Amino acid sequence: MEVRNSMKNVTLILLGILLASPALAEKIDQTQDADANGKVEVFNLSGDIEIVGWNRKQIQVTGTVGDDAEEFIFERSGKVTTIKVKVPDRMHGHKDVSSDLMIRIPKGSSIDVSTVSADISVEGVEGEQELQSVSGDIDTEAFSTDMDIGTVSGDVDVEGSGKDSEARLESVSGDVTAEGLSGIIKADTTNGDIEITQGDFDRARIDTVNGDVLYVAALRSAGKLDVDTVNGTVDITFVGDVSAHFDIETFNGHIRNCFGPEAERTSKYAPGWELSFTEGSGEGRVAIATLNGGLKLCKE
Amino acid sequence: MNNETDDKLMAQAAQLSTEITPERDLWPDIEAAIEAPRRRSSWTPYLAQAAAIVLLVGASSSITYVMTKGGANVSPVIPTMGLDAEFTSFGSSYELGQGFQNARNNLAAQMDLELDRLSPDVRAEVEENLAVIRSAIIEINSALEDEPNNVLLQDLLLKTYREELTVMRKVGGLTQHVMSRNDI
Repeated sequence: MEVRNSMKNVTLILLGILLASPALAEKIDQTQDADANGKVEVFNLSGDIEIVGWNRKQIQVTGTVGDDAEEFIFERSGKVTTIKVKVPDRMHGHKDVSSDLMIRIPKGSSIDVSTVSADISVEGVEGEQELQSVSGDIDTEAFSTDMDIGTVSGDVDVEGSGKDSEARLESVSGDVTAEGLSGIIKADTTNGDIEITQGDFDRARIDTVNGDVLYVAALRSAGKLDVDTVNGTVDITFVGDVSAHFDIETFNGHIRNCFGPEAERTSKYAPGWELSFTEGSGEGRVAIATLNGGLKLCKE
Repeated sequence: MNNETDDKLMAQAAQLSTEITPERDLWPDIEAAIEAPRRRSSWTPYLAQAAAIVLLVGASSSITYVMTKGGANVSPVIPTMGLDAEFTSFGSSYELGQGFQNARNNLAAQMDLELDRLSPDVRAEVEENLAVIRSAIIEINSALEDEPNNVLLQDLLLKTYREELTVMRKVGGLTQHVMSRNDI
């Protein structure tokens, strides 16, 4: 009889523990009203973040939150909505805080997303975007608002709609790819390649140390294109007419150009080449400098 | 007596030619030099040095910008291995001074603190990328030894130094920013 009572107590205790466990390991599915042009801040240490713009004035979060996450926060203060997976201040040993969030927001929202090791994917969000990750990839769409995107070891991939915006895209060791952006772009990598295609720019600034650069896009009247590399190759193709003054110099690489005069050696005793000329009426400016990379310059 | 001497000297001076004709016609060479396009890499040492000063001022401003952007904390100077040995010169006359080294050490110290929070893989990747930048700095410096007045090299060197600072700020600042967001 005593044994039976003890077993019953143990069962009740175990049941109580199970019921008292936080529901964080469970799936989440929460919805709140939101401003049509509000701001959404998202913080998730690790996992995945997928954000999709929709036509409702609501924010919906679905997904799963890691077992060891301290708290899932989803709160609104005026125009600002905060979505956050709070993790313990000190995380000794292996802790499962990895959380996958699927977030639907009003398409006119601006977003500010920060992660350490989560990938970020954004689709159909027309407000300003600030996306930062340490080791995750970032994949988004550009509309007519500004974007500031940075990752340390992930790739940055942006697809534009052809509308003007100001985009700042940075990765340390990942590649930066921008297709269909227009207006102003600044792309920067240390060890990753940079590809800018199908754009139409007033100002494009491209910097890399070891990466290769591909620019197949238009440069508007009075537009400026600046490219600097140390060891990367540079491949520039202007789409349409270009009217600019060109200053191109390599310390130790060849210059191949489909228009303009032939490049000249910088010195009888040095391996470098330089090319300076004016195309069209020369309102714009193109400046390219490399240490060891070769350079190709064409137009189509 | 003195008046007579002065008059003779004045008379002799008046007979001297007012123009000196060179032994050969120099104008074609001068004209060619004036009309020839100026090449960036053949600036005179004075112009190159003046440019270097301007570039250094620009670099200093960039460093200030990089240091202050994102609210980077200025930590006590902590010498970091591998940073103090590197310096550069412009035409063997200019070097990035102690202020630059201090700024770089500060950023490196801050970055090291933040790196401890990251996974070993990410830490290794950051170190690898900084090594790429430092290798490029050494390569450009090596080329500058042969062509100390080459403006292209000076410009690339400063940009590469700035890239190093930017990476350190980015890693340190980004990690700090992300982690601080945990306290929202």
